[in-house]
Amino acid sequence: MGADPSMYGKGLRPLSIATPVAFAITLSLVFFYAPIEADQGFLQKIFYLHVPLAITALCGFIVGGIFAVLHLRRDDPRYDAYSYVSIHISVIYACGALLTGSIWAKGSWGHWWVWNEPTLVSFLIVFLLYATYYPFRYAIEDRQRQARYASVFAITAGAFVPLNFLAVRMSESLVHPRVFATAEGGLPGSMLLTFLCSIASMALLWTTLVKFELSAKSAQGQLKRLRRALDAPTGPPTSRIAPEVH
Amino acid sequence: MVATLYGWIVAAPAIPNDVGGKYVAGAYIVFVLLLLIYVSIMAMKLARIERGLREVAEVAEQRKEDATAGETTPAEVKS
Repeated sequence: MGADPSMYGKGLRPLSIATPVAFAITLSLVFFYAPIEADQGFLQKIFYLHVPLAITALCGFIVGGIFAVLHLRRDDPRYDAYSYVSIHISVIYACGALLTGSIWAKGSWGHWWVWNEPTLVSFLIVFLLYATYYPFRYAIEDRQRQARYASVFAITAGAFVPLNFLAVRMSESLVHPRVFATAEGGLPGSMLLTFLCSIASMALLWTTLVKFELSAKSAQGQLKRLRRALDAPTGPPTSRIAPEVH
Repeated sequence: MVATLYGWIVAAPAIPNDVGGKYVAGAYIVFVLLLLIYVSIMAMKLARIERGLREVAEVAEQRKEDATAGETTPAEVKS
């Protein structure tokens, strides 16, 4: 099961080339093509970073949930690894979304954080929910039980993400701007193109990082196997939280 | 060439002229820093894997040498 070591690193090379190229194009579009927004001015450029980070993080959490379903259905530890890494990278993305959003809030509203804004608070709740994923895994010693319970967590939390998004979308918000089309009208063509490129670049980076992390974990797993086969010293202990990948 | 490029950049409509510039720069720097931190952590992990591989390779080579020595010794005694 998952014996082919090239599996995780497959496609990493073209992805590693495509990601910086995509970012170069996106940043050029952001700073030299997309017009300055009339209401927010130059500050709106943060949205080409903040919103794709948030969207990719939320999608990543859902992807983690889907892999968790596959893990429970097929009992294949590979899917647990996929789920773990998807959530891991998405937590980093969510952290970036919170930080960049906070910077935007300071520039636009004059406050680093506004507690009565549903979009912000709900995103923080999702982030904190997923931040408990690590101690949750760490609390369970047995690897198989750990993987099963983590999958249940990932599915439950993954289902919560779109529900939470819908709830916020339906709630009346006075201050948080909407990026996609609303009743008042959507983005102009040049901004929409830039925004879609930003999302594509961010998703590409997410995929590259997931593959990179999986390859590193696979290398670690292969090394462990090699040590066992040679009956060599086991070396320093590896993470108890991360699933073993072979 | 450089002057033309500079003139084009200055004339570009998206160059910051207002107070938002420092926040935009801050947000993009935070993103780059996050990426750098992640890459540094992964670099440390890969260095650990490389160290482990070297150790395992040394053990394997040592065993091969021992096995070769074990095979050649009786032949040397015979001659």
